[in-house]
Amino acid sequence: MNSPSVFVAKERLKNLLVSDRIQCTPDAVDRLSKDLYYTVSKYMEVTPDDFNIEITRTDIHIRYTGEKN
Amino acid sequence: MGEVIVITSGKGGVGKTTTTANIGIGLSGLGKKVLVIDTDLGLRNLDVVMGLENRIVYNLVDVINGNCRLKQALVRDKRFPELYLLPSAQTKDKSSVSPEQMKKLVDDLRDEYDFVLLDCPAGIEQGFQNAIAGAERSIVVTTPEVSAIRDADRIIGLLETSGIKKNQLLINRIRIDMVRRGDMMSVDDVTEILAIELLGVIPDDKQVVIATNQGEPVVGEGSQAGAAYDRVCRRLTGEEIPVYDFSQPEGLFGKISGFFHRNQGGTL
Repeated sequence: MNSPSVFVAKERLKNLLVSDRIQCTPDAVDRLSKDLYYTVSKYMEVTPDDFNIEITRTDIHIRYTGEKN
Repeated sequence: MGEVIVITSGKGGVGKTTTTANIGIGLSGLGKKVLVIDTDLGLRNLDVVMGLENRIVYNLVDVINGNCRLKQALVRDKRFPELYLLPSAQTKDKSSVSPEQMKKLVDDLRDEYDFVLLDCPAGIEQGFQNAIAGAERSIVVTTPEVSAIRDADRIIGLLETSGIKKNQLLINRIRIDMVRRGDMMSVDDVTEILAIELLGVIPDDKQVVIATNQGEPVVGEGSQAGAAYDRVCRRLTGEEIPVYDFSQPEGLFGKISGFFHRNQGGTL
């Protein structure tokens, strides 16, 4: 049996909205994320796990959650 | 001064016109003086949904071009107290009206009504710009489908850019059985993605098709959709009524609409 189709719908929708909101392809979103990660990593110690990018209708948020102890 | 609300969606066929008609009729039933305006130039529909197509003499373009006085173009719906329709033109090119003219028209007549509802055409071109020009708030209609939600997101962005800050969501044609099976996005799924205040949820209901065939409203009748539209109207007049979440097991009320106030961004 297939998994509920709602998961597919939500995934497709999220990808569409990200590319609509910044007006570029999902591939470009990927590259943007990588570039942002690379740029931040030049100045502070980050790992992919504590680095989070969120694109909303009006903003791009970079959340850095890497408090080391 | 009356509230001017544009009913919009981006995508066509999600229920803007049906929603405009039923909210207009519902508000009138609650004792409000209501004017509904069809702003879809060239594709006149609202009059047909309301069953008033045989009573049209003049239209919106006639009023704006000065071919008649505003009062002559208004069609009073005699079945309801204080409900008026300003019909659209069926044969005019869309550029015959400008956003400035629409804004002036709405500003001139809003004092006489409690609510002015603008039925917006599909799309994001001139017709959309005309419809939103005079509005101070919006109802964004969507269905729980990828394409409709995507368009709603675009529309919300455009509304916010145009300075319309109060934008509320109406989710139409929810099917509880499909949500439960995991084959349709739930109210929570949609509000999480679009992140604007939820005004209401209308279940998919055969009665809407039947009523539309007859040019009758569903609001005020016994159907599920009718009851849902009635709650939307009460919410618009300021009553605090929980949004019934049709995806929950029956008898349980969904979240209070106030809980959906979130930051404007709409996170993913």
